[in-house]
Parts: sequence; C-alpha cells; structure tokens
Amino acid sequence: MKFLVTFALALLLLTLESVVVQQLGLAISRIDVTVVLVAFLAVRANTLEGAISSFSVGYLLDLMSGQPTGLFTFLAVLTFLVGKLVVSLVEVRGRAAFVLFAMGADVGHGLLASFFTWLTTKEGGVASSLLPGLPLQVTLTGVAALFLYPLLRRFEASQDRSSSTGLLR
Amino acid sequence: MLSLLKRYRTLLIVGVLLLYPFGAFLTTGRRGRDPNFVDRAVIGVSAPLQRGLIGLIDGVKAVVYGYIDLREVRQANEELRAENLQLRATVQALGETRAENERLRGLLGYAEAAPGPEIPARVIGVNPVAKLLSVRINRGEKDGVFRGMSVVTPDGIIGQVVRATGGWADVALVTDLQSRVGVRVQRSRARGTAAGAGKGPLRLENMLRTEDVQEGDQIITSGTDGVYPPGLVVGKVTRLEKTEHGMFLGGDVEPAVDTTRLEEVLVMGNPFGAMVQGPAGGSGGER
Repeated sequence: MKFLVTFALALLLLTLESVVVQQLGLAISRIDVTVVLVAFLAVRANTLEGAISSFSVGYLLDLMSGQPTGLFTFLAVLTFLVGKLVVSLVEVRGRAAFVLFAMGADVGHGLLASFFTWLTTKEGGVASSLLPGLPLQVTLTGVAALFLYPLLRRFEASQDRSSSTGLLR
Repeated sequence: MLSLLKRYRTLLIVGVLLLYPFGAFLTTGRRGRDPNFVDRAVIGVSAPLQRGLIGLIDGVKAVVYGYIDLREVRQANEELRAENLQLRATVQALGETRAENERLRGLLGYAEAAPGPEIPARVIGVNPVAKLLSVRINRGEKDGVFRGMSVVTPDGIIGQVVRATGGWADVALVTDLQSRVGVRVQRSRARGTAAGAGKGPLRLENMLRTEDVQEGDQIITSGTDGVYPPGLVVGKVTRLEKTEHGMFLGGDVEPAVDTTRLEEVLVMGNPFGAMVQGPAGGSGGER
C-alpha cells in the first residue's frame, strides 16, 4: 500500500514538475522531487518498504526522462540505502534537518548521475558542462523539501490514523 | 535452504532492486529501451495529467493577458495587415523562384524528395531529469508520429522523436549531449556536424579546417543524417576555433530556437523511414 501511495505521489509531483519547468523555461536545472521522496523514505520507512518504494520512484523518473535506461531506478535505491545508513548514524529530526539531509542526498544523486552519464556518453568535458547546474538544482530541491516535508508528515499522520502500521512509516 | 532464503529475504530483495536496474543500465547504455505495457500504462496516466495542467495554465494566462492584449490589438492589426501584404508579395516572388528551381532540377534530372507529413503538436511537459534534455508532445503513434522523426518550428529545428506511444511522444532536443545533426553552412555549403553540449550553444564538429566558414554564418541541416530534411535552420555560428594544426575546426552554433520556451512544434519526416531507422540515440554525424 505504501508503495502504491508513494508511486502515485511521485507521479503527481513529477507531472507537476515537468509542466512547471516547461512554463518557467528552466534551461538545465531541475527540482529533484524524487530525491526528496527517497530522502523521506530513508528517514521514515523500513528497509524493505523503502527500497521497493524507492525503486518505483526511480522507475517513474527513468520513464519520464524519455530514454529509460535503469540508471535513475538504480540511483534511487542506492540513494535510499545510503540515506538509511546516514540516518542510522546521524539523527534527522525536524524540517531544517530534513532539508539539509535531502540536499545532501541530492548532491550525491546529482554527482553519481553526472558520473554515469559521462561514463556512457564518453564525451570529454561532459561532467564539467553538467556540474555547474548542480548548486542551483540542489538549492531548488532544498526549497522543495522545505515545502514537501510538512505535507509528507501530515500525509503520514493521516495514514497512521487509518492504519495501525502507518503508510509511510 | 528455505529458512536461509527466509532469513535473508530483505537482503535478497533489496539486492535485486539495486542490481537489476544497474544491470539494465550497463547493458542498454544510454540508448534506452522500447516502451513495454507497464511503461505505456504509466505514460497513459501521466500525459493526460500534463495536458490538463497545461490547459489550466493556458486558461489562466488567457484571462490575465486577454485584457492587456486587447488594448494593443488595433495597432497590432494595422501592423499585421502591412506585414501580410509584404509577405504575400514575397511568397509570390518565391513561388516564381520555386517554379524556376523545379524546372531547372527537372532539367538536371534531380528527383524531388518526398518531405512526408507535417504534424502539429503541443509541448505538454519537460523531462524532469536534467541530464537528458527532452520534452513530451501530445502526438503519438496514432497520429503518425514515430521514433526517429524530426521536430521543428518555423524558426528552426528542435530535435527528434526518441519514443512514441499511443497519443504521446518524447523528443530529444538538439541541445542534448547525445544529439548529432548533419549540417551545412548556408553561404559556402561547407559540411559538418552540430553536436549537443547539454546547455548553451551547439558544438561545430567534423568541419574541415580549410572550409569557408565565418562567425555569423547561418547553419542549416544538410539532410545527410537521415533524420532532418535538408535546408532547415539550425542556428548561427557565434564562435570559431581555427587552430594551425589538426584536420578540423571547432566552434559554437547558437541554436535558432530557444528550446527552453517551446509551445507549438511540427513533427516532420516519413514515418515509415523513421520506423525502419531503429534505435535513435542521436542522428548520425557528417563525414
């Protein structure tokens, strides 16, 4: 059930983002809403549920990229697992801590995505052409995390009331 | 054995979830795969959502800007009338030139290339991944849009269709890192390749150092890549790198179309030609 809810939420957010980006005309930067979702899963979900949900979120991102290769599915699961590891070492509590955590996850996700993209295109200087967009991307993702966190918590709380185990827990 | 599987169930499932997409990525590279049933179903859900949102935004924009536009419409109308007269005169003159051109081509024995259909489409969304520059349009297989067809505007080329499903298609932009377009300098007819650089201008490649090309030259499609018809505007040369050594020169080509602000586009090309082209990760280069 959690998997389906996360999938629907990711689909909605990605659709919204694709339209907003088209309307605003952002040349290269995107808002990594999927990373925010994966970061939230790393903080709140257990390993199995979170990994399955992250897989579904990554699959969606792959699909909406136009050329599904599996890269973003892999990166979503990897980001979740690394995030889970970080959460076991550092306490992530409250909105500000979550925003920083999501931004950190986005840096890792962005760097890995650039690296693997470069690895497959084998184009010299590709990383240098993509990395300058990363700070803006991470900032936008941080802003998205700031607004999404209370929404996700409220969503989780409402699910807790309807189910004993909780939906995003 | 069963107890072992049960014991390591989580580890196994997570391992598969992690390694399966990685394996798929390593085997397909950046070519991607054709959409399967699940992909089509998900796109079938997301694309109408995108179209609905675009419609909503357009509606709000129309109301807000409607009044402002109305105030300037009389003056614009006068200007358009004058422009229309000029354009009609130009079209008439071009018609004469075209007729003459066709007659001369006939005399020289050239065959007229079939341009294929032109399908108008609306951009309904942008790919949310910054690493791959593509947009989604509201025309797909049922409208005659197939993988490999070219996408243009009256100002110049946009990109090519990389995936088409029932009523939607994804278009990789010319600015995408994988994009390669066979081009020609309009003035001197020198041939080369315009390669996507991720953002900013396209890179001019595979053009011989001895070719006649200058900053400000208009770059058009050569038609030799099998994707774009010849003669479409690609952009203008904004910078040239002419070294004393080496075979080729380099440079930047500023695209004629701002791909970040796309709304209406045209899908061109022979759908059957596009279908037999196979995987379209970027058109072939020149030379």
